[in-house]
Amino acid sequence: MGNIQKQATHLESTISICLLAFLFLIAAGLFIKQFDTDMSRFGLGQVAAAKSETAFDLSSQAPVGFQTLSQTQNYNAENLYEKINGKAPLYTESGFWNLSTQRFINKTDQNLWMEVYLYDMANIKNAFSVFSVQRRAEADTASLFPLSFGYRTGNGLYFAHGQYYVEIVGSVESDELNKAVEEVARNMLSKLAVDGSHEIPELNLFPRDDIVAGSKKLYLRGAFGFEELTDTFAARYKIDGETITVFVSKRPDVKDAEELMAAYYDFLIENGAKDKEITSGFDNGKIVDFYGFTEIVFSNGEFVAGVHEAEEQGAALKAAVMLNDKLSEVTRK
Amino acid sequence: MSRQKDNNLSRRQLLSQIGKAGVSIAAAGAVSHLFYDREGPKPGVEAEDLITLPDFSVPHKDGQAISVVTGADRVRTVDKAIELLGGIERFVKQGETVVIKPNVAFASSPMLGATASPELIAEVVRLCLNKAGAKQVIVTDNPINDPRSCFTLSGIGKAAEQAGAKVLLPKDHLFKPTTLKGGKLIENWPIFFGPFEKADKVIGISPVKDHHRAGASMSMKNFYGLLGGRRNIFHQNINTIIAELAMMVKPSFVILDGTEVMLTNGPTGGSLSDLKRTNTLIASTDMVAADSYGCSLLDLTVSDLPYLSLAEKAEAGTTDYQSLKPIFAQVS
Repeated sequence: MGNIQKQATHLESTISICLLAFLFLIAAGLFIKQFDTDMSRFGLGQVAAAKSETAFDLSSQAPVGFQTLSQTQNYNAENLYEKINGKAPLYTESGFWNLSTQRFINKTDQNLWMEVYLYDMANIKNAFSVFSVQRRAEADTASLFPLSFGYRTGNGLYFAHGQYYVEIVGSVESDELNKAVEEVARNMLSKLAVDGSHEIPELNLFPRDDIVAGSKKLYLRGAFGFEELTDTFAARYKIDGETITVFVSKRPDVKDAEELMAAYYDFLIENGAKDKEITSGFDNGKIVDFYGFTEIVFSNGEFVAGVHEAEEQGAALKAAVMLNDKLSEVTRK
Repeated sequence: MSRQKDNNLSRRQLLSQIGKAGVSIAAAGAVSHLFYDREGPKPGVEAEDLITLPDFSVPHKDGQAISVVTGADRVRTVDKAIELLGGIERFVKQGETVVIKPNVAFASSPMLGATASPELIAEVVRLCLNKAGAKQVIVTDNPINDPRSCFTLSGIGKAAEQAGAKVLLPKDHLFKPTTLKGGKLIENWPIFFGPFEKADKVIGISPVKDHHRAGASMSMKNFYGLLGGRRNIFHQNINTIIAELAMMVKPSFVILDGTEVMLTNGPTGGSLSDLKRTNTLIASTDMVAADSYGCSLLDLTVSDLPYLSLAEKAEAGTTDYQSLKPIFAQVS
């Protein structure tokens, strides 16, 4: 017992006091900090402090006669909503990686300004998907985009280029501003480094005759309200004066395609569709009436395809036969 | 030998020390149990610190609850729409402080229709100040993007100030936590309370827009701007949160601008091609009714927007706008 109760040395006393003081400071810090709630963090975990950045330098893209109006802003999936609010899920559910934005303003006319949105969507399919589902119906197809998908409207330019989706939005409708917007687009197209191919092979599955220009779309998931219908390409055709939407989705194998076709058919029936008889053109397909619209779904090899919401059954069948024949060119190989 | 003897404990000493240690551990455990908070930490707000947004509504008048005016000129349509509800003097009394809450969500050109019309806001400011004799008009919002850029690039800041209003940008100290009685989502949540604390009347002004998540953004969704914090989490329950906003905010009246609606790619838009001219402006003391009419401008019905029925169920307004006997007019 004697050495247990021995007198503490001066050094030991000093260390003990320091440790106690340190513990007291921690306790005091915790006590004070508990009253300092950061309201901005309500409801969520720690926000990514560092915003992701793309390697591309947007701030140096000012066209002639323009200067930067603001600093380049970068957003990741966690804070994208700070920029585009309710439209953020469209991107984050499509493989979004990051967004960089930059504004440029005319040096002499303050009413002329533009904002560039550079979305890195990680791959070309994701980029094409967000491009295609937002495509303005009456937009011009620009000759500016030999390797990309793009169009212009009265005040802006929009294109998908490799894994990037780009919007350049002008503040007003003006020839001078539109020229500047085009200059930025040209610069970006020449400088944006693209990973992999510019090709999306599935886009060539659609027959060329009677297709409505610029109507091809890609739904990454949940096409036509059916969650399992993923990676679904759609296009519109003009047949017998009717606009018909056809779709095709490539599956891993034939069995998977047949099962998905059956599941989509069941989905339609469960939601009120009624069977119709198929008159021709399919070995493995279904045609139903869905509240006055004709829906067709069939499989061909590893493809699930069909017609969506056609007003005229005759035109719908023609479109389905045409698409089936085109798919057979691939599946027979 | 004696040193070794000193180090040996007797059984009595050992039991005594084990007993003391046990008591110490039990005491520490009991204290911990006493102070253990099974519900975890709250956001640092006691119930008595929670605020409640005042009720800014005015007494109901039969046949003067909703007006729908068609015409291309916003100044003329809004003048007429308010006149049909009984005039601005019905809502704003001399010497009162009025808060106008426009949709200034984005740093976007006014031409693109993503934000409220500057000329419309300016006209309502003038009506409040010059016709009703308001003491002060505050124009404010808590935008998604940087507030200064939003008010500048949308043209709203300049238009409001030129008309005589004070533009108030959000600052941290202007947010206070609230809990909505009967709500599921708004619980201990910070709202942009400062501007409304001393206000007598509140007017909401919003454009009619497509909204990727909600289906449509109109009068009710406009008050999403009052929410602070990381409000994007509410996008997972978008219909519920919009209905709760209608329960939480009781404006004096709202103006729903459908002069040019954003038909596609909302709520940001970005192209003139997203817009469609419908030349319709709605003023109403019932924002559920205003939105129920307004959705038709987007080719939608009440059943397409579940938040309308949720708000009606919560008695925040009616989707049956016809029951309010809307007054229709046209101005050239």
